[in-house]
Amino acid sequence: MMPLAAIRPDDWNLPLFLHLAGAMTLVGVLLLVAVSLAGAGRGGSVATVRLGFRGLFFAALPAWILLRVTAEWLADKENLDEDPPGWIDIGYMTSDTTFLLLIAATVCAGVAARRAARDRPRGGGLNTAVVVLVAISLIAYVVAIWAMTTKPS
Amino acid sequence: MYDWLLFLHVLAAFMVAATAVMYTAVALGASPGGPAIRVSDALWNVGGLGTLILGIWLALYVDGYEIWDGWILGAIAVWVIATGTGERARTELAEGKGGFTAVHWVRTVAVLGLLVLMVWKPGA
Repeated sequence: MMPLAAIRPDDWNLPLFLHLAGAMTLVGVLLLVAVSLAGAGRGGSVATVRLGFRGLFFAALPAWILLRVTAEWLADKENLDEDPPGWIDIGYMTSDTTFLLLIAATVCAGVAARRAARDRPRGGGLNTAVVVLVAISLIAYVVAIWAMTTKPS
Repeated sequence: MYDWLLFLHVLAAFMVAATAVMYTAVALGASPGGPAIRVSDALWNVGGLGTLILGIWLALYVDGYEIWDGWILGAIAVWVIATGTGERARTELAEGKGGFTAVHWVRTVAVLGLLVLMVWKPGA
C-alpha cells in the first residue's frame, strides 16, 4: 500500500523552514569545524584553528538556538508540547545534550585558538577534544534526523 | 520503506546544505584547508545525487504526489541550477578565479530555494 502525502497546515511552514535551516546550518558548520581541525592536526595553520572557534561561536551556537526555538514553536503549533511523543523526546534529548557538548567544544576551541596564536600553531590536544565533541554531536544529529523523519513513537 | 526513503532523502539534503555552508566560510574569507574542501565536494556529489534520485522515487511512491506536479518540476529545475553553479564554484575555487564568490552565492540561494519548495510545496 502506498503512503498518502502528508498535508500540514500552512502556518506550520515558516517555523519548519527555519527549523530545517537552523539544523542544516548547524550540521554544516560542525562538519566544517571537525574536518578543518582534524586537518589542522596534520600541518594546519593558526587561521584554521581560529576558524574552529569562530565557526562554533558565531555560527553553530546561533544555529542551535534557531533550531531549538523553532522546535518549541512547532511543538506548540502541533500541540505536542503537553505530552510529546517518543520522536520529539529524542529531538529534545539530542538537542539539549549536544548543546552542552557544543559549549564545551567552543570553550576548548577558544583556548586552542589563543594558544595557537602564542606558541602552538596546531592547537595541541584541545583541537582533538573539539573534533571528538563535534563528531559525537554530528552522530547524535543523524539519529535526530532519523527520528524527525521516521517519527517512531 | 517510505520512512527510509524520506530519511535518506532528508539526509542527502543535509549533505547538500553542508556543502553550501562550508563554501560560505570560504566565500567569507576563511581558509578551512584542502581536506575540508574535498569533504565538502564529496558531500555535494553524494547529496546532490541522493536528493534527486530519492526525491523522484518518493514522488513516484507517495500517493498524492506526481512527478509532473509544479513544485516537483520546479525543484528539479532549481536542482539543475544548483548543480551547475556548484560545479562552477568548485572549478573557480580550484583555479583561484575571481568569480567564485558570486557563483557560490547563486548556488546558496538555489539550495535555499529548494528548501522553500520542499517545505511549502506550492500547488500540492
